[in-house]
Amino acid sequence: MGGAMDPESLTIANLLVGNSPGAAAIEWALGPGVLRLDEGTRVAVCGDAAVAVNGEAGRTWHALTVGPRMELTITPGGASRFVYVAVQGGIDTPPTAGSRSTYLPAGMGGLEGRRLRVGDRLPGGGPGGVALVESAPPPVRPREALLRVTVGPQAERFDLTAREALYRESWTVLAASDRMGYRLGGPAIAPRERATLPSEAACPGAIQVPDDGQPIVLMPDGPTVGGYPKLAVVVRADLALLAQCPPGRVVRFREVSPGEAREALRERASRLEDLERRAIGEGGSP
Amino acid sequence: MTAPEARILPLGEEAWILTLGDRIDAALHERVVSVAALITRAALPGVREIIPGYTTVTVSFDSARADASELRVGLERLLADTPAGLPAPPSRTLEIPVQYDGPDFEEVAERTGLSRTQIIERHSGRVYRVYLLGFAPGFAYLGELDPSLELPRRDSPRTRVPPGSVAIAGLQTAVYPLATPGGWHLIGTTSLRLFAPAADPPALLRVGDQVRFVPAGL
Repeated sequence: MGGAMDPESLTIANLLVGNSPGAAAIEWALGPGVLRLDEGTRVAVCGDAAVAVNGEAGRTWHALTVGPRMELTITPGGASRFVYVAVQGGIDTPPTAGSRSTYLPAGMGGLEGRRLRVGDRLPGGGPGGVALVESAPPPVRPREALLRVTVGPQAERFDLTAREALYRESWTVLAASDRMGYRLGGPAIAPRERATLPSEAACPGAIQVPDDGQPIVLMPDGPTVGGYPKLAVVVRADLALLAQCPPGRVVRFREVSPGEAREALRERASRLEDLERRAIGEGGSP
Repeated sequence: MTAPEARILPLGEEAWILTLGDRIDAALHERVVSVAALITRAALPGVREIIPGYTTVTVSFDSARADASELRVGLERLLADTPAGLPAPPSRTLEIPVQYDGPDFEEVAERTGLSRTQIIERHSGRVYRVYLLGFAPGFAYLGELDPSLELPRRDSPRTRVPPGSVAIAGLQTAVYPLATPGGWHLIGTTSLRLFAPAADPPALLRVGDQVRFVPAGL
């Protein structure tokens, strides 16, 4: 598990600076801040934010040229929870278990396994590749999020009223939501029997419902196994939409078949592959 | 006795979860491990991960590389042909030295009514099976604990459990390999490293291993 909460926005940020989609970048989930770049390079900031280079306004979802010792100021707008900052050549922290991603629950990976702090210095990768596009449209993310889900493996442990409530009600993303899981506020929809299941594999997007009836949606850093019943699973193509909801945002769910969910994933992959071909051609930089 | 049919259900759109039973027991889990080994050996195209649970085997796949229905049929056929799965490799027995000095030791003694010696004897006096790996890297769910030590999880989990903590909850015991939040009762510590990202494999314990705790410094 692990990885970006919004992999689509991360991919776009990387492609705009000529990186391959999986290059390491910064997931910015903070308030305003400043990055100073020692050497000139290309940067892309993807998400809801105001951007300035040495005080001059720049555009998000666009490649920006930042000269040596210039400052990149990022001021998140609050409509999206995560903003992605990619630099040409990627960020070159030492990989752990084959990835540069940070896994906070175990303090592994990234920069010392922790959140970035003021004063941190991040090594840039090599010169990187060249991007052939200057900008890309942000993914369509309606404010009234309607998330597609497939039926969960323990759906029959919930009675009909509970299952209908999942689809009928509006659910509020609560403040106690993080990279491990998002807690949703709404009516209690506890399973019929309050017994813990023998633990089994879980996955990001799984909507677990503990005894208190308040759903928790597992996120990329969430536990890989669990004993809470899974009522439904958010389709992979929509998980980033949920991930980008700040606390207080309201979401709703609607059921689709696994086949429709795979089709949505295919459609997203195809869009990103198309952008990749236009941005870095066949076989871009590592 | 014919093996019962496995139920196969989707877990999201990129995984199939095979349920082989409904109860935690060693014999069923042997079958879980054997079926997981069978599926691994079959090397079905597009399969990403095979995750054994207590009673389930979950097969996740890349939907761009595998047709979901064909994979499901492939799994059903494998199970029909070899319902017992592959014999698991001989299980290893590992010893974990423990200093029984955990911060919850006194509380466990009070709540179970057992003496210090009894707790140590009952925790270290049996061989445990590794049922599951999960929750955090290297975290292994070991069972089953002596029923006289059974306690529910703590009401308020700790936000940080020191690495190497030996813990109990329900009928399970475990070692926290890294500092993570945790709601189990901490009865001891071990200096044995159960997870090292640079090692190959990084996790010391494997599903199906047998584990003994050995009291240290007595």
